[in-house]
Amino acid sequence: MHRWGCFATLLLACGHACFASSAPQPPQHGEDLLVTDNQIGRYGGTLVLAQRSEPKTLNPVTAADAPSREVIGRLTADLIHINRWTQNTEPALAKAWSVSNDGRVFTVKLRHGLRFSDGQPFDADDVVFSFQVYLDENVHSPQRDLLVVGGKPIKVQKIDQYSVRFTLAQPYAAAERIFDSLAMMPRHLLERPYKAGQFAQALTLNTPPAEIAGMGPFRVKQYIPGQRIVLERNPFYWKADRSKNRLPYLDELVFLFVGNEDAQAIRFQAGETDIISRLSAENYALLSKDVATRGTDFFDLGPSLEYDFLVFNLNDLRSKNLDSIAAKQAWFQAVKFRQAVSSAIDRDSIVKLVYTGHGAALWGNVSPSNKLWTDQMLPHTPYSLDRARELLKSEGFSWRSDGQLIDRQGVAVEFSVITSTSNAQRMKMATLIQDDLGKLGMNVHVVPLEFRALLDRVFQTYDYEASIMALGGGDADPNPEMNVWLSNGGTHLWRLGEARPATDWEALIDQLMQKQMVQLKYKERKHLYDQAQEIIAANVPFVFLATPNILVGARKNLGNFKPAILDPNTLWNVEQLYFIPGNGARPGEKP
Amino acid sequence: MKYLERRVIHGLLLLIGVSILCFALSAAAPGNFFDEMKLNPQISPSTVAGLRARYGFDQPLVWRYGHWVESVLRGEWGYSFAYNCPVRSLLLVRARNTLILTGLATLLAWLIAVPLGVWTANRRGRWDDRLSMASTSLLLSVPELVIALVLLYWAVRIHTLPVGGMASVDFGGLGVQAKLFDLALHLVVPVTTLVLASLPLLVRHIRASMIEVLQAPFVQAARAHGIGGARLLFRYALPAAANPLSSLLGLSVGALLSGSLLVEVITGWPGLGPLLLDAALARDIYVVVGAVMASTLFMIFGGILADILLVAVDPRVRLGKV
Repeated sequence: MHRWGCFATLLLACGHACFASSAPQPPQHGEDLLVTDNQIGRYGGTLVLAQRSEPKTLNPVTAADAPSREVIGRLTADLIHINRWTQNTEPALAKAWSVSNDGRVFTVKLRHGLRFSDGQPFDADDVVFSFQVYLDENVHSPQRDLLVVGGKPIKVQKIDQYSVRFTLAQPYAAAERIFDSLAMMPRHLLERPYKAGQFAQALTLNTPPAEIAGMGPFRVKQYIPGQRIVLERNPFYWKADRSKNRLPYLDELVFLFVGNEDAQAIRFQAGETDIISRLSAENYALLSKDVATRGTDFFDLGPSLEYDFLVFNLNDLRSKNLDSIAAKQAWFQAVKFRQAVSSAIDRDSIVKLVYTGHGAALWGNVSPSNKLWTDQMLPHTPYSLDRARELLKSEGFSWRSDGQLIDRQGVAVEFSVITSTSNAQRMKMATLIQDDLGKLGMNVHVVPLEFRALLDRVFQTYDYEASIMALGGGDADPNPEMNVWLSNGGTHLWRLGEARPATDWEALIDQLMQKQMVQLKYKERKHLYDQAQEIIAANVPFVFLATPNILVGARKNLGNFKPAILDPNTLWNVEQLYFIPGNGARPGEKP
Repeated sequence: MKYLERRVIHGLLLLIGVSILCFALSAAAPGNFFDEMKLNPQISPSTVAGLRARYGFDQPLVWRYGHWVESVLRGEWGYSFAYNCPVRSLLLVRARNTLILTGLATLLAWLIAVPLGVWTANRRGRWDDRLSMASTSLLLSVPELVIALVLLYWAVRIHTLPVGGMASVDFGGLGVQAKLFDLALHLVVPVTTLVLASLPLLVRHIRASMIEVLQAPFVQAARAHGIGGARLLFRYALPAAANPLSSLLGLSVGALLSGSLLVEVITGWPGLGPLLLDAALARDIYVVVGAVMASTLFMIFGGILADILLVAVDPRVRLGKV
């Protein structure tokens, strides 16, 4: 009895030591590690980054803000993952998956012998539990809507300890992309708060690190409110390099909370951080020229997936008591008016002056860097004031002797453009557009508004005439944007809350988008989506303007650094990053 | 004692008034915490509506106020939508950081301002007084935002001072002395900014009070008796000039929580400033209300402290003759 007691104590001590130590554990027999093909790195070092604001939670189900998701993404893992470099899906915690002939049933085989960062085993029960939480209407997860296909939630069934079946109500194109970034959670830690109805309160920043576990490359070590969160290596991480070294190479990953992009740039310039992401063109120019940032590399990755646009208010204003705006909607509703505005905007100047050349002009919603979905045949309307004037003339507009544009009734064309004060680029764009449209005789007023006040006008009160906004930037696939293009979508910004399509072309877009959503063959799907893009471009519900390039910087001594267009641009392969010794390391910091 | 009781009751009424005003203003502000989600095409309007309902946004303002008062009585000070936790836990740690910064800055500002104000008053009209007045005029005209930016630029260039935050990344592994040194280094930029921003006002007030006292007959009499120099200034004149200064000190204490918000944001000091700014922009209203209430509490405390000091330093007030 005494000997068994000693043995149990020893086991407990070993278990505790395993959790306490973040040294990489040697691969275990039967452990199905994923072998990566990166350059073989070196263990050690602390990678420091600055975030513009503090993460608000560590709960992957309720997190909606970017800083939280950036941290959570390093603590958790998904079944199937989108490779940010290739933009294609690849196995992650799922070793493989198969799809039924009708495209409705996915059978996922999990890797064997994997463990959470607290050393507890991971299996199908954790997968079923995770999806149960995501799908629970009472939890109000922002990701739940992704898991509702054809109006019905995905059905999740455990087949055996390492197999799970997912059944969709209808075929869903690129359904495997749904699994990306859906964190698999530890049932052993979270089932109790979930059953007690306390799931939203679980995994806050104040939760002790020992009560947080995930399948990501790092686990929480320390959180200091307002200052930083320190992550340490997950010793049980399920990826290894070709030499069977368990990843990640880095000992620690530190996120500093600095407040804004300028502070981020200053910290990088002062050598306090190792990577800087999503730089503005001004800071990119400043940092890349600054002698203090020697020992760093800067990357212009090309156009992002985000698109800036000008949108006119076409909402039904009958119940809103906004007569002056409703009167102007006669202009905005005319396709030729919108086309004229599009023709009169000098996009190249926007790229040159707003993004100092680090951007691309846009004529559609799909960025040129979206390798799979951009429509090469989409017409690029040239900047032409003559064409704009012809379009306006044909719609019955004319000009007074002083050059002021007037409509059929002789009313001067005058409207305001609202834009967010927190986005300097869009403020500049608004001024350039004001100038461009002034050449057409339109009197445009720029009205900068605080961001939430702007959202309130666009989504709630409809008290605006035109707005400059941006969308996109998530996945490269068209499906996450369904709610922008479907006439009843919640982000159908130009005309929200439509019970049925207001125009024929919107009805056509509805049909094409619905068809592409269930079309499983890429070629056919691309054809449908190209048609939708062409209709959108021709009818100009959004006047597409430009997309900023993704600009990032990093220390030269960071091995395997491979920034990508898709979020998270610099940390998507954080488990592979390592410090190359003797290559411009930060003084006194790196191995 | 009755006076103190009356002041405390006034303070409580003020707190209630501020809380109602805060609630009314936050309700009048356009937009709410969940609006940003509407821009995400992957989140449906029904999910946003569900979240709004969970946090009581579909309830009338009076109901929400009552709910908040309940949570204040429980010691939670409301609930943060963003952090999913009670506001108190968010405020306490950041208020501590703010007090470290402002406490030190206020102490330094007074330690510099008192001798400087007394000295310039005594040297009234001479070149050094004029130089001091010109410097304080210049500092008064420069916003603290500019002072902070200049100091940050300098810190980036000299590479020996940290350019933000409260501690280095390796702070946890340092010894006690090294920790204190690290903290001191991080305090240089924000404390210097606050000191430079508050110094001119203090120096000018002290100087003005002292000039008035130095012209008083009792000071002339003391001079005639051969009392001069520092003894006259600090032993006799300064206590007589302390009456208006005690109100100023009360104000300084009252501004401890709210006086450094902008500087904290610029220099990345993890105090109430960045939290309040984030919360205001995100419409995390209970955090905003909580921070405003905490600042109001300090203001009330500062006012009471000023009154107590006034009673202590001025016998006329004590005897009810003023």
